[in-house]
Amino acid sequence: MRHRVRRCCALLVGAVSLAACDLGGGFKGMAVDPPRAMPVFAFTRADGSTFRTSPEPGRLIVLFFGYTHCPDVCPTTLADWKRVRAKLGDEAKAVRFVFVTVDPDRDTPAVAERYARMYDASFEGVSGDAITTSRMMDAFGVAAAREPGTNATGYLVSHSSQVFLVDSHGRLVALYPFGTGWDALAADLEQLL
Amino acid sequence: MTSHAAPALRHVIVTATSIATNLLAACTLRSDPPVPRVDVQHNWARIADSGATSGAYMDIDNNDTVPITLVGVTTSDAGAAEVHETMQQDGMAHMMPRTELRIPAGDVVKMVPGGLHVMLIDLRRALAVGDSVRLRLQFSDSTSVAVTVPVKTP
Repeated sequence: MRHRVRRCCALLVGAVSLAACDLGGGFKGMAVDPPRAMPVFAFTRADGSTFRTSPEPGRLIVLFFGYTHCPDVCPTTLADWKRVRAKLGDEAKAVRFVFVTVDPDRDTPAVAERYARMYDASFEGVSGDAITTSRMMDAFGVAAAREPGTNATGYLVSHSSQVFLVDSHGRLVALYPFGTGWDALAADLEQLL
Repeated sequence: MTSHAAPALRHVIVTATSIATNLLAACTLRSDPPVPRVDVQHNWARIADSGATSGAYMDIDNNDTVPITLVGVTTSDAGAAEVHETMQQDGMAHMMPRTELRIPAGDVVKMVPGGLHVMLIDLRRALAVGDSVRLRLQFSDSTSVAVTVPVKTP
């Protein structure tokens, strides 16, 4: 997997991304100014159907990159998303919450899907092939790196921990560093919907 | 003689009353629950699938007059349990095993999301809200504390 780890390159891209961000733009999160058009990525679900990140009119995408062996940051983020959904009520149907694994070697599509849906049946958990994962991480400025663990844990994965908000035109418009209150994301989604 | 006997009797009564009061006070103190040397509170664990990974959180109070060191966690509910700490650096989340966690005398260590946690690895059963896991916290002085950790809504 080492070749899939985009550490240095992605960190640089991430640094550039963050440099382009500020706390303005009317967002509670870190606005990406100007908004950045994102490529479309396709993932094969466990049942063979395809999930695409294509823009859909009136629908937003919220993304996070993590891995299912992660006991802390990833479940904390998914739990926050569940709170966001509850806050949005019926409007939540217009938001696609997508968990993308950065550990496709261990997280099959079925594992990633089940992990995300354990928190909410509407959440997408996707696992791409090596090329798709690598390209998507590069596009979002996401870094990931294997770290030594113990015999019990196997390797650990350090990874970018921010949440990304993509608008209905497929543009990255805001980031939410880990630790940002879930209500900030909820407020920004309400504003865009 | 009577005039000397009355003060003496009063002294005996006062002394007896004082002793009785002290005894009652002592009884009252004995009925209070003892303060545990190590007190674990606010403990909870996350939902997870069988065979997957979960995290448990808690506050560990050291009520002793000397530091204590958490050196391990055991459980029959998972293949292994380890104390880890999440650290954020440059937008990256890193997780580091903590093989020793020192808790100063009279202090508390708080395990909370985004920080210290007990990583439950290779769960032997799925954890749903309402379930609980049994952990045993092992300290460096060979003592241990059993904790029942409820699984709560994420």
